[in-house]
Amino acid sequence: MTTTHPAPASPGPNPGPNASTPSTPPSPAAAPPARYRVTPTRVLRSEWHKLRSLRSSWITVVSAIVMVLGVGLIMGGTYTSGGGDSDVDTVVLTLYGSMLGQLCLVVLGILMTAGEYATGMIRSSLTAVPARLPVLWAKAAVFATTVFTVMFATALVTFAAAQAFLHDTDQAASLTDPGILGALAGNATALTLMGLLALGLGALLRSVPGAIGAFIGGVMILPEILGMLPYEAVERAIRYFPTQAAGALGSATPIPGTISPGPALLALSLWAGTTLAAAALTLDRRDV
Amino acid sequence: MIKAHGLTKRYAGRTVVQDLDFTVRPGTVTGFLGPNGAGKSTTMRMLLGLDAPTRGRSTVHGRSYAAHPAPLTQVGALLEARSVHPGRSAFHHLMALAHTHGIPRRRVEEVIDLAGLTAAAHRRVKGFSLGMGQRLGIAAALLGDPATVILDEPVNGLDPEGVLWIRTLLTSLAAEGRTVLVSSHLMSEMALTADHLIVIGRGRLLADTTVAELIRSAGGASVKVVTPQPDGLSAHLTGPGVTVTATGAPATDAPVHELRIRGVDAAYIGRVAATHAITLHELTPQTVSLEQAFMDLTQESVDHRPQQKPPPPPGPSPLTGAAA
Repeated sequence: MTTTHPAPASPGPNPGPNASTPSTPPSPAAAPPARYRVTPTRVLRSEWHKLRSLRSSWITVVSAIVMVLGVGLIMGGTYTSGGGDSDVDTVVLTLYGSMLGQLCLVVLGILMTAGEYATGMIRSSLTAVPARLPVLWAKAAVFATTVFTVMFATALVTFAAAQAFLHDTDQAASLTDPGILGALAGNATALTLMGLLALGLGALLRSVPGAIGAFIGGVMILPEILGMLPYEAVERAIRYFPTQAAGALGSATPIPGTISPGPALLALSLWAGTTLAAAALTLDRRDV
Repeated sequence: MIKAHGLTKRYAGRTVVQDLDFTVRPGTVTGFLGPNGAGKSTTMRMLLGLDAPTRGRSTVHGRSYAAHPAPLTQVGALLEARSVHPGRSAFHHLMALAHTHGIPRRRVEEVIDLAGLTAAAHRRVKGFSLGMGQRLGIAAALLGDPATVILDEPVNGLDPEGVLWIRTLLTSLAAEGRTVLVSSHLMSEMALTADHLIVIGRGRLLADTTVAELIRSAGGASVKVVTPQPDGLSAHLTGPGVTVTATGAPATDAPVHELRIRGVDAAYIGRVAATHAITLHELTPQTVSLEQAFMDLTQESVDHRPQQKPPPPPGPSPLTGAAA
């Protein structure tokens, strides 16, 4: 059969083959398979599937692990007692690589939300889940669970590996020492919350470069610039900014000029929560 | 069954879709036609809840799309723009969508086979051709075995085999009692698949009709005559239902005129001309093709067009049967 020039034997579509089927059964909508339904758990499962079926997810997470572990080993291997770093907190010293790891996780968070707008995937996602908000919550939950689990494990391994070098220095410490385990968990929590902030920014701005720029400019650089201002109040306020709060969460001993871990956790949670709430509000209202 | 009530969409002061009212019924293929930029895609996005209408509302099977507990079983949609992450394989893309509804892996494999993507299912979408991308979109649309299928320009980028596949698919979906809404800017394509037509231009409803009715309303057949004696010929062709329209002079030096005559056939005009010794330079039966009917209908509403109306296509259209 030709496709470009139909033979005159098929004279137009009317009456067409269907016009003669008034006995057509009523729309199948009458009986959709009852077991097919959108539920929050299923949306979670979908988001988990999306995360692990992309190469970029693996690259960003593995990079974050390598950064933290690699820098930790270098710090441990090159440390000498009585050097310039003697007054640095052991956990902070061991997990210096978190700053680099954080960038990878920020990119992952932004890719999970803004990346869907860049590729058009968001139209598929929101057609499947037109209630929209479950998609954002599922993304945040999948991201938080994955990043916390992976980064807490990485922190534990990095700490143990670094201690292999540090055990005979003044930075010798054990997991059971006061504050150590809490600081390792705090470090992973901080990375998770910073990542959630980035994920929210990505959903809000709907652009990967835009969100990365906003994160670097607004979250990482802005507090540094504000810190130069000669006002006591500004300096005090900056302690509650994301990077400063994150730093306070990941130290076994109090760092001078920072808030204590409790308020730091609250502050960082508020930053991430507010960004996600703003993202939810726009997701609900704006056209896709 | 899809219903639109006064559907209106305004973007930054520009009205893209205005007061659309239509019903798409199950069991037939409904063509959604309009020139590029007429508002077809916007309308479809509003049907799926991706864009919120400025005014009006639309329902699918009696409810707004978003109100269905299992939307993918109600409407399967292929949108014009690609809606797939290029880094994911076809299988994982479909599986991620299937998970939201608890649709099993078996069904995902079924639609992959149905769309002819079996060999490419585990390749990343990045390397897909336009046609394979469309096939993936169709597979996604059929995932939930939906009662209604909405396809935006499904034949775009498909090879002849793919085009034929879509036509057959649409017809069989409709024969199964489903509601099928297919948009296109190509009347000829719609004529082959659609039973019913919804035509829009500049966001307004221009026609909600059948293919045959559209041709009838476009004026049916006419005869093109080129003669140096237009007045003489017209004088002898008066009669009920006969119209003679001067359509201008051809670009030659000879003082001739081009006429468009409706209501009588070429043989009759030839006899009249011979009887009255009127010289004819050309006597050509013209059939209104669906394409022409569509252009006549939408020419007021296209955004960009050449200043002069393009001449009607010379050859007989494949739809002459329907026009006669």
